[in-house]
Amino acid sequence: MTAITSAERISRAENERTDPDSADVASVLAGDARAFEAIVRRWQGPIVNMAWRYCRDRSRAEDLAQEAFLRAWRNLGQWRRESSFSTWLFALAANLFRSELKRFPTVTVPLDAAPEPARSAAQHNAMEMDQSSESVRRAVLALPLRYREPIILYYFHEMDLGRAAQTMGLPEGTVKARLSRARALLKRRFPHLEAEHANLEFSTLNTGKEA
Amino acid sequence: MNRTKTNPAEAEQTALDHILATEDPLVPSSGFLASVMERVHEEAAAPPPIPFPWKRAIPGLVFVSGVFSWSAFEVVRRGLPAVSTVTLAVPHINAAAERPLEEAGWVAFALGASLLSWLLSRRLAGRSGLL
Repeated sequence: MTAITSAERISRAENERTDPDSADVASVLAGDARAFEAIVRRWQGPIVNMAWRYCRDRSRAEDLAQEAFLRAWRNLGQWRRESSFSTWLFALAANLFRSELKRFPTVTVPLDAAPEPARSAAQHNAMEMDQSSESVRRAVLALPLRYREPIILYYFHEMDLGRAAQTMGLPEGTVKARLSRARALLKRRFPHLEAEHANLEFSTLNTGKEA
Repeated sequence: MNRTKTNPAEAEQTALDHILATEDPLVPSSGFLASVMERVHEEAAAPPPIPFPWKRAIPGLVFVSGVFSWSAFEVVRRGLPAVSTVTLAVPHINAAAERPLEEAGWVAFALGASLLSWLLSRRLAGRSGLL
């Protein structure tokens, strides 16, 4: 363990005052296990949602999220404060989800067998639009992991390529290339997506107006 | 979402972006926090893992590596004079080679037995959760 300078100590103290994660981590490391509850409370939503995007199975997503928090608890001392706590936590969770899904893959249909939304004049309500969107989301799970993960993390981070790359621990260029390939694969599977989506949106709007 | 883009590729991307980015958030179940904290408290209460006793092991490791080094040295020391006396001998053809089919049968049997034992051990290890 290297000795920290007084400037670093002041900076840490300042961080703990302004950043709740920093303060809670300091409390946990000082032996107060209850401080971890605040961390879980703050991050349970994002981590469960991230796990859900990896497996699309609610019960498994919660199991994976629980394991991620336990791993975070065990390795809390390894957070170096060079990046934000969330960046560290997301990267740790992504590593865990990736390795768990390699060990026990989700049951998916091959990409080519993923059902394409039926194109008919009857597609005019929100439920059909939801079904169509769900087919696309399910098809993401059928992508090879190297393409699936950039898609999951890019949209999880609200289309922030930099944060997705940080979470994956890869250069932005690599993530961008994989993202582009993943999109190409999805577009090949759902060639009429834009037209259908526009039609569905249009008919949903019309239905709304009529109502 | 920008709907004024005219490039079809861009438009397609927009639909994909729209679908994948607009997903209803999943709310963790009510017991999630409690179950995480229960496991955390269990871990916190558990005694720390016993560290490997390096202080006791080091003399043993030093002794074992010394024995190995000495044995290797002796093997080389005794083997070197013997190497100079080696002469090229005409290989002796084993009598067994005269019955190739019978020998091949035995070899196949040995390979089969090895494969069977390997498969059995993998299966047992798989059931025990090791694989």
